[in-house]
Amino acid sequence: MASADKLINTDVPEKDVFALHFLQSLSNLKTQNPLNSPAKSIDRVRKIKKAAYVSMARAAGGTSRLWSRALLRRAAKDDNKSVRFSRRKRKVTWKISSKRRKSNNQRAPVVEEAAERLRNLVPGGGGMETSKLMEETAHYIKCLSMQVKVMQCLVDGLSQK
Amino acid sequence: MDPPLVNDSSFSAANPSSYTLSEIWPFPVNDAVRSGLRLAVNSGRVFTRSEHSGNKDVSAAEESTVTDLTAGWGGRKTRDLNSEDDSSKMVSSSSSGNELKESGDKKRKLCGSESGNGDGSMRPEGETSSGGGGGSKATEQKNKPEPPKDYIHVRARRGQATDRHSLAERARREKISEKMTALQDIIPGCNKIIGKALVLDEIINYIQSLQRQVEFLSMKLEVVNSGASTGPTIGVFPSGDLGTLPIDVHRTIYEQQEANETRVSQPEWLHMQVDGNFNRTT
Repeated sequence: MASADKLINTDVPEKDVFALHFLQSLSNLKTQNPLNSPAKSIDRVRKIKKAAYVSMARAAGGTSRLWSRALLRRAAKDDNKSVRFSRRKRKVTWKISSKRRKSNNQRAPVVEEAAERLRNLVPGGGGMETSKLMEETAHYIKCLSMQVKVMQCLVDGLSQK
Repeated sequence: MDPPLVNDSSFSAANPSSYTLSEIWPFPVNDAVRSGLRLAVNSGRVFTRSEHSGNKDVSAAEESTVTDLTAGWGGRKTRDLNSEDDSSKMVSSSSSGNELKESGDKKRKLCGSESGNGDGSMRPEGETSSGGGGGSKATEQKNKPEPPKDYIHVRARRGQATDRHSLAERARREKISEKMTALQDIIPGCNKIIGKALVLDEIINYIQSLQRQVEFLSMKLEVVNSGASTGPTIGVFPSGDLGTLPIDVHRTIYEQQEANETRVSQPEWLHMQVDGNFNRTT
């Protein structure tokens, strides 16, 4: 998909787009759940978090990235079924099963094991090959740091008023 | 017998027919077909085979042997056991690749003799060259990534075929490490770490910390969003028109963020985490 050369230094994630989406979804949440709604705060936190992730995925280019696609798909699934973080069944998985671990023992075990942990962190990482996983991880980290910065600024700016 | 043909057939593992045909059956193709058909009158099975896979089996059936060259990726080894009419000499399966031991075992089982391609002796009466099994594994790591086409020796050819795997593996590993260095540049303070495992640990910790930060910030935002009903907060502006207020809001955000970016240096995420009562797990 992406060319191998400029894979890491791809587009800088859009702060404005993320902030826009996130503020919009926050206001949506606010209008949906008024202050004295019976919903617990944990649910609200979860919704805000999900809104943050979804807007991050949208800001990162929607479905152009694997992780953003996985995030959006997961969010859509959550919306429909309200099953949160259920284990998705993947057709193609790169997770190392015990059989595979035996079979290719000549691969670097350290990298593969760490990549295994990384696959659990990056959304949609279970279906990625290792180099692709690294690529997506780079972009994901960029977007995550952007998200954290924007959210921090939001919190700061909103709490002092 | 005919070494330059080996190089051609070494890359087309699917059809070694031309190569084996030209070696075993030195006559023109049409003669081979005709003679194969003549044989096929005697044995019907050979006739069907000659229909399927062309001239190779025909010519092989003439000599009552079948040469099977599997130099492909998986080293798939198919044994053709035709020549039921007179099967005194059986099979010479010359498999290259990393199935050296298996082929060695098969060699002992089958009375046919394994023969390297570089010698051009795909004939079953060529002598075994089974001594090269151990040495080729030693040579396979030393081979160049682009093996020259002059490798017609048995061991070199075996090493080359195995080298295709190791070549792919090496390319893959290089790709991964290259991307990992690029990842290392993204993460602050990760440049000094040496070692893939530590780098990956750092990456994982960084992602986890970021995710926890997002969680914590969403908790904070929940408080702000639901608690602070006064003031020009987010909930005030209607969700429909994005043109008016959000621009202002995110302008200020943007400026603040730029200020933050300039102010806060590398271990910024650590500070933020400490503020958020999250301890780093390392």
